[in-house]
Amino acid sequence: MNTQVVGKRYPEVRFVVDAERVETFRRAVGGPSHGVPPTFATTAEFEVFPRIVGDPEVGLDLLRVVHADQKYEHARPLAVGETLTIRSRIDDVRERGGLAFLVIRTELVGSDGEVAVTATSTMLERASD
Amino acid sequence: MIGSRRLADVRAGDEIGPLPRLVTREAISAYAHASGDLNPLHRDDDVARTAGFPSVIAHGMFTMGHLATCVAEWAGDAASVVRLSVQFRAPVFPGETIVAGGRVRGLDEVSCEATLDVWVTVDREGTTGHPIRRGEAVVRLRP
Repeated sequence: MNTQVVGKRYPEVRFVVDAERVETFRRAVGGPSHGVPPTFATTAEFEVFPRIVGDPEVGLDLLRVVHADQKYEHARPLAVGETLTIRSRIDDVRERGGLAFLVIRTELVGSDGEVAVTATSTMLERASD
Repeated sequence: MIGSRRLADVRAGDEIGPLPRLVTREAISAYAHASGDLNPLHRDDDVARTAGFPSVIAHGMFTMGHLATCVAEWAGDAASVVRLSVQFRAPVFPGETIVAGGRVRGLDEVSCEATLDVWVTVDREGTTGHPIRRGEAVVRLRP
């Protein structure tokens, strides 16, 4: 993995907290019947992840990658129907003993410009055989 | 936040769950479409074997989503789960039953928040696996 990509930002993406999408996600995680599920922000992350995972400058080998850590911090709950801006950047790349860790930080920003949710995903790439 | 749990009703040491869920291929597929994570590692046995697994594995986020459901049910309101943090420690395969649980570690009466240790276990031929061993959740409570 390329350690030079730390700090790289990806183009912002508009994301609507669509009622049907929330409902589909809720059914998939068996969630309670009200409120946006606490991990729904993952759907926003995946609006951007294909671009990062497929970024030749990052150089990930998807077959050797597993999801290592995940964190969600809610400054406020998401509201069904609201429009957010998704802002992703590479926070860190670390290599240790044949393992490489890629940390992606994604902010879900409300129309008021304030961050509603911060999602931090760490991907682990194993060494090739 | 109307339905959320009250601070006065929570003590350090209180347990949450256990909340079991059978992981089926259909459930993994439904999660893939709901989340947008269409990585073939979770959908195609041949790809999973190439990656070194005996079959497809569930998304880590499927397991975390189930844990979040367990915490949200305890909290009484999904919106009161303000923080959730996990490390994925072991893969989960179709046909297995994951069990989410946790315990209140501490209470902050000023911020009106509870911090919980949370986890997900799976029973594997009599031994307990830990897809999520030491997760942490912060839940906002009603004063």
